Amino acid sequence: MKSGKALIILVLLVALLAPATAAYGKQEKVELHITWWGSQTRHDKTIAAIELFETQNPNIDVIYEFSGWGDYWTLMTTKASGDNLPDVMQHDYAFMYEWYSRDLLMPLDEFIADGTINLADVPPALLESGQIDGKQYGISLGTNSQAMMLDLDAFEKAGVELPSPQWTWTEFEETCLKLHEALDIWCFGGTLEDEALWKSLYLGYGEWVFAEDNKSLGYDSDEHIVEFLNMILRLMDKGALPTEAEWAEYEDQGPENNPIVTGKAAMAYHWSNQVVAVANAAGEGRHFKLWHLPRPEGGQPENYVKPSMFFAIPASAKHPKEAAMLIDFFTNSLEANEILAAERGVPISTVVWEHLYESADPVQQEIFDFLARVTEDSSPVPPPDPAGWAEIRDNLYEPLFIDPVLYGEISPEEGAAAFREEANLVLSRNE
Amino acid sequence: MAETTISVTGSEAGIQKKPRSLFWRRRSRFQHNNLVGYLFISPWLMGFLLFALLPIVSSLVLSFTNYDVLRHHILKADWDYIGFDNFHRMFYDDFRYWKSVKATLRYVSYAVPLRLIFALAVAMLLNTKRRGVYLYRAAYYAPSVVGGSVAVAVMWRQIFGQEDGLINAILGVDIAWFGDPRYAMWTLISLAVWQFGSPMLIFLAGLRQIPPEYYEAAAIDGANAFQRFRKITLPLLTPIIFFNLVMQTIHGFQQFTQAFIVTGGRPLDRTLLYPLYVYNRAFVSFQMGYASAMSWVLLIVIAFCTAIVFATSRYWVYYQSDER
Repeated sequence: MKSGKALIILVLLVALLAPATAAYGKQEKVELHITWWGSQTRHDKTIAAIELFETQNPNIDVIYEFSGWGDYWTLMTTKASGDNLPDVMQHDYAFMYEWYSRDLLMPLDEFIADGTINLADVPPALLESGQIDGKQYGISLGTNSQAMMLDLDAFEKAGVELPSPQWTWTEFEETCLKLHEALDIWCFGGTLEDEALWKSLYLGYGEWVFAEDNKSLGYDSDEHIVEFLNMILRLMDKGALPTEAEWAEYEDQGPENNPIVTGKAAMAYHWSNQVVAVANAAGEGRHFKLWHLPRPEGGQPENYVKPSMFFAIPASAKHPKEAAMLIDFFTNSLEANEILAAERGVPISTVVWEHLYESADPVQQEIFDFLARVTEDSSPVPPPDPAGWAEIRDNLYEPLFIDPVLYGEISPEEGAAAFREEANLVLSRNE
Repeated sequence: MAETTISVTGSEAGIQKKPRSLFWRRRSRFQHNNLVGYLFISPWLMGFLLFALLPIVSSLVLSFTNYDVLRHHILKADWDYIGFDNFHRMFYDDFRYWKSVKATLRYVSYAVPLRLIFALAVAMLLNTKRRGVYLYRAAYYAPSVVGGSVAVAVMWRQIFGQEDGLINAILGVDIAWFGDPRYAMWTLISLAVWQFGSPMLIFLAGLRQIPPEYYEAAAIDGANAFQRFRKITLPLLTPIIFFNLVMQTIHGFQQFTQAFIVTGGRPLDRTLLYPLYVYNRAFVSFQMGYASAMSWVLLIVIAFCTAIVFATSRYWVYYQSDER
């Protein structure tokens, strides 16, 4: 009996200690966690770039997690509440201020100062939007602007001339009707009432939709948005735009079902970096051109040069130094950026920019040229969205204002008045 | 009186084991037996306490707070008690709330009766002893099993598609099922009715319990099929109908997955079922306190509806064991 007991105890001890000894050998490997959002194109490219990083840094093991845009912030907020944030996370201009104010982000200045993140080739203007209160919280992953994607083949077939880059909304309406009459397709998809275009519309008038103190809407007259919505309603009536009912099926679908890809529309609105995924879905032999957004008569450019997204390091990151190395890799490595192919926007490092331009395919070159054109002719970057914007966007902008108006239930004036009242109520709670 | 030998066996005299320690000697046999029982169910009990009871209680507490995940971290407890503010906001300041209530009531009042009617009809058809009927039973039950899945919901979107959809092709119309506020709810209702399998099986069991002699007697007396149904089948099935009605109503109020995937609450919030709205408030807008309050209101409403069905059951449910 006694020797049996001793044997059992011995075996247990060995079993307990064995993993410890095994781990001792692997101690040096750093596990880095990263999250991002995007389309499948972006996921594939990012994973390939990460694998390149791992080959160059054999002691770092990168564990990645990604999702679509719709689920990303639910995912990240859940992680934040569980103290489970990764070492590197993709971030957005709209959310950075809120995360910074909840002390969830780590300032990157020390890594920039000691050269882990080398920003020598980056024009300082492109870093400004990642700075809050004088410290750098996010490194831009690419520059972007809002683009009207034009299907050149459709324009040619319809015999419609390309408008000038400084075209107005009136000219947009005319072009739209001409395209529809010639080709009997929609001139545009269903995203004209997107909240980003509402904001850009007021930029075109030289105003910003939020007041400076962020406690109310920043514009006094609803006239402009009412006029814009009336234009949309007119085009819907004539069949040049899909009605809300027809558009319902296209909501939240991937680039494959985008009407400009399937030939159902001649124009589309996208951020310039999304054009890569859409052009990929459209396949070979398509010709697209990126154009400025239309502007109001005698108004300012509605475009502005925006950082598409950032990489930020959460304050709870376990390996900030390696995280900074990964960010530097994405910013400066030529091979990585060849893989990434400007899918997140035009790279901020001028060295990388020039290197990519030479070997870029026509779509990427068009994006680069477009950004260059926009930089010449754009408005300054508007301030970030205030706290409370999420509530307004999710529960007021579409359900209370846009949807009832475009379904014909209420008039644009009534919708705008109701929206103004409720939005001001939400914003007034800001400090 | 003859001398009788009393043999004592363990089960008759109770557990006669010698207690091993003072602790056990001090406990009554009753407590000892109970403790063993509790130990056996302790795994389940742990799960229930941690994953069911605790979240329910915390949800009740949170419904009186302004907990919203990022701003007020739950463990740091820096959320504030705001009393009944959430409830006040729900009923007076939230226009989408009433839209979602209307949508849910519409859904329940169409889907539940239709589902039960189909279930009963098919159960009556399947109440035969022919060979192979079990195949049909399985076939009609299958949608119930797979219906709650994401795959089916995605397929439903295809079926009701405006241009290439099956329904439009069969009916020969061009309806925008997902875009037209008048018709969108029918995509959800039809999905619910398609899954009539589980109430159907229960009806089938109930039908099998009706003695065939009643039917024979009625047939001899000259009753036709419809009269037999009205006078024999329906009254004897009322307990089953009652059960199915309660279960399906509760289930209908809790419908989430299909609304989330098939319509997302669109268009114009006409299909914004209540649990979907709770989800939106909780996980999209992160207003957890408010969403918890909404969930508790749903619980009260479901309890109320069930209570009404129970209360009226005296008047229409006939149990064979009663003498009436």
